[in-house]
Amino acid sequence: MSDPSSINGGSIVAMAGKDCVAIACDMRLGMQALTVSNDFPKIFQYNNSFIGLTGLGTDVTTLSEVFRYKVNMYNLREERDIEPETFANLVSTTLYEKRFGPYFVGPVVAGINSKSGKPYICGFDLIGCINFAKDFVVGGTSSHQLFGMCESLWEPDLEPEDLFETISQALMNAQDRDALSGWGGIVYVITKDKIVKRLLKTRQD
Amino acid sequence: MNTMFAEQFNEPATNHSTAAPIEHRFNPYSDNGGTILAISGADYAVLAGDTRHISGYSINSRFQPRVHTLPGEKPLIVSANGFSADGETLVRRLAQRVEWYSYNHNKPLSAKSCARLIQTMLYGKRMFPYYVATILAGLDENGRGAVYSFDPVGSYEREQCRAGGAAASLIMPFLDNQVNLKNQVDPATGEPKIATDLSLEDTVKLVKDAFSSATERHIQVGDYLEIKIVTKDGVSVEYFPLKRD
Repeated sequence: MSDPSSINGGSIVAMAGKDCVAIACDMRLGMQALTVSNDFPKIFQYNNSFIGLTGLGTDVTTLSEVFRYKVNMYNLREERDIEPETFANLVSTTLYEKRFGPYFVGPVVAGINSKSGKPYICGFDLIGCINFAKDFVVGGTSSHQLFGMCESLWEPDLEPEDLFETISQALMNAQDRDALSGWGGIVYVITKDKIVKRLLKTRQD
Repeated sequence: MNTMFAEQFNEPATNHSTAAPIEHRFNPYSDNGGTILAISGADYAVLAGDTRHISGYSINSRFQPRVHTLPGEKPLIVSANGFSADGETLVRRLAQRVEWYSYNHNKPLSAKSCARLIQTMLYGKRMFPYYVATILAGLDENGRGAVYSFDPVGSYEREQCRAGGAAASLIMPFLDNQVNLKNQVDPATGEPKIATDLSLEDTVKLVKDAFSSATERHIQVGDYLEIKIVTKDGVSVEYFPLKRD
């Protein structure tokens, strides 16, 4: 497998609930079948926006730093925090700038708009085409498994605690059927005035 | 193609040796989509499959049943999903072998032996395999539900449940979670939950949910769901409509 998007492995999932969103990722970094690290989180926070980056490890790290720089510049110019919708468009344009030599990533954005209080989740392809979803978005090497899990477990208007259980079960059972994902997990449950980060203890194989 | 021929004819005779050769190749396999799923219980086994038959983005048939009942008084059910010409051939030849066994030995072929027979039939074509994911369901010698799953060249295993075919990757983790209770803990003790036999009603509900979800996200799955159920009383069939888009 010389496909850049599946050399290092990794998975992301985001779900919307009732006045809350959740985003979760695995912790693996590999080189094909060999696991190199089990401490490689793929979710990054900028103000009240969260982004999960899967794909080529080097691009995940590079883009997380590019977005930190761009959001800091936005904060200085606008003298306010960036909203998830705005951040999603910033991700989109950043990726499209590299239209003919793309970053090999599959990003997922999640957050709650600080003005309207509305949950926002979306996904992208590697050149920045936004996929806005009302229910859930998935990305990474176990995306098929995640689609199957989310489509059968997710239901509308989940409360934060139920959303945490749903997204955790979706992620854990999906990554157990993918050799390139797993080795732990991180889940963020985001409500208007609280962010809860939990570490998932999962099987280590 | 036409321009390539035209160029060849216009070239001087001396350049013929440098012209790129045109390669023709016959591909003996194709993919006819579809998904199958089997779950075994205390005194039953179910084998379900959708009835959509496709090639590429075309739907050849909305109702082409892929779950087959083998001949005999205590029947076994089998489905070979993938390249349907190979699947049909395997099941037809298997049915004949099962029938002849009953005449030669004056007893029905057990599920365990049928599984071994399927292995030898699949491995017999090791160098030109049947391009199929095969699942066999029935009752074992003790009357318990049995599910056997096979890879295209005959490697097999008895399992509690198994999904095969196009949407297997979508359904299998759901089955791990809901049938074998993987990653679930008892809230009171914090200990992992132990899987027990499901009732037939719960199993059929689970199968319908699994296929409804797979239909939603996989274009090769849909139209109708055919659920075959084996008990000591024989084989019963249930149909369930799936989305047709």
